[in-house]
Amino acid sequence: MSKLVTGDGRTHIESSLMRESLVDRRVVAKTDSEGEFAILPDVVLVGLGGQSIFDRGRAAVMPLVEELKTLREARKAGKKGPPPMVLGVGGGTRVRHTVSVALDLGIPTGGVAQLVGAMEEANAVFLNALLAKHGSIVMQREHFWELPLYLESGMLPIVISIPPYHFWEPPPEDGPLPTHGSDFGLFIHAEVLGMKKLIFVKDEDGLFDKDPKRHADAKHIPRITLGELSKNMPDELIIDRQLFVCWQRARHVEQVQIVNGLVPGQLTKALAGEPVGTVITRH
Amino acid sequence: MHSSKHERRRISSKLADATLTTGGTPDGLDYSPVAMMPDVRVLKIGGQSVMDRGREALFPILEEVTAAKDKHKLLLCCGGGTRARHIYSVASDLELPTGVLAALGGYVPRQNARMLQMLLAKHGGLFILHDDFEKLPLYFRLGCIPIMTGMPPFGYWEKPTQGGRIPEHRTDAGVFLTAEVLGAKRAIFVKDENGLYTDDPKKNKNAQHIPRITAKELLERDLPDLVVERVVLEYMQRSRFCTEIQIVNGLEKGQLTRALEGEDVGTVITRE
Repeated sequence: MSKLVTGDGRTHIESSLMRESLVDRRVVAKTDSEGEFAILPDVVLVGLGGQSIFDRGRAAVMPLVEELKTLREARKAGKKGPPPMVLGVGGGTRVRHTVSVALDLGIPTGGVAQLVGAMEEANAVFLNALLAKHGSIVMQREHFWELPLYLESGMLPIVISIPPYHFWEPPPEDGPLPTHGSDFGLFIHAEVLGMKKLIFVKDEDGLFDKDPKRHADAKHIPRITLGELSKNMPDELIIDRQLFVCWQRARHVEQVQIVNGLVPGQLTKALAGEPVGTVITRH
Repeated sequence: MHSSKHERRRISSKLADATLTTGGTPDGLDYSPVAMMPDVRVLKIGGQSVMDRGREALFPILEEVTAAKDKHKLLLCCGGGTRARHIYSVASDLELPTGVLAALGGYVPRQNARMLQMLLAKHGGLFILHDDFEKLPLYFRLGCIPIMTGMPPFGYWEKPTQGGRIPEHRTDAGVFLTAEVLGAKRAIFVKDENGLYTDDPKKNKNAQHIPRITAKELLERDLPDLVVERVVLEYMQRSRFCTEIQIVNGLEKGQLTRALEGEDVGTVITRE
């Protein structure tokens, strides 16, 4: 695979894609295959809500910090402890305020996307301050490949949830709001590393057919498949819509679980494989 | 219904209570986006079509670039080329995820940008990273030619590709999105053909040149192959600023200069 080919004015390296148009569907199809290498398949990604958990302050955050501490100790003790975890956290109300001010000023969509990450990062620093003595560390994007090091040493890595689309955020299908938010960012982070499961910790018992904060008759959905959900997507969602769009073409993530972080022990149960909250499965 | 023992501490704003996942323009918001630097000419220097041809193709193009640099604000973005194809080929064989391909594929246009910088250094060529983007006004004010990768910074966060592994957002998409966020109306792609043809002109001598076409028309034809990355044509349907792309032949002396002057040489793809 290292032969140089010339003769048409260009210098090529011999490969199955040599001279080909990478836009050509037939060429793209040649790169497809049934399987895909899973980089860190046994890790579970846990996303803590910004608005739903963090903005509630001490009363909501500290019990979760305790729960995470206990989980990590159980893991260090070995035996059949919880799976290795990677944490992420959303930005919450400050993101909304940022977007609101920025849109009023006429900041282009890419500019808005560039701004919002700061609020998510701030919450990652908050969480790290609380969990540092229990082994947490904020994983900067440039240190992407240090994740196995952190996990191997029993630490609790906290990843930056917003994806680095920044100024290059694609134009949204509808309206000016960037669509690649923190739920999507955590999902894609899990997917590229071949993880099978994500748990989102929010302030509701999972998915409802409408926003339970506004509608007293909202019905809880304990279990649903991605296909069913996509066919009948509630207007008001507790998770970024883009996550579900992307999941349709994902290869690794099998399950997204949404649990209530205000109920002590739900996260632990979810990590143990119990179907608390809402379990969304790919099939 | 829900167990909110403790209220969320909210900052009041028009979006404080809105569901951000529904799309649309939030109620009560009159959005009119500001063009940041609409006069910047965003130029893509092709990887396979220009860089891999070496000195013979590149040097005349660079002469046109340096001749125009005091008249126009030029931002050069680089494509990948054959080494990127080699990377995608090897990585696909290893069944690695699209995000890894996007991160790996990013190395090649960065190399190309660094090569351009070395060649243009004496004319103010400046290699910049995505993180330097906000310093563009300074670079232009100093009379520099900023040069960056065409690849958007998605890397490991690139979405999986349907029916394949090659990332959907590569250097064409990055160049288009760069022009869009700067508020530039048109992005210029410097390649080795006069633009778009009815068939591949490298394989079919009877292929006819198409000087002007809409992105919508191109998408509707549902061709297996296209002259730019598919997502660019899709994004052009809903972009706020960049509604045109122009493909020019860098091998034909003077075409780039004319394009910089606003002439519709090569092929112009418009939104409508």
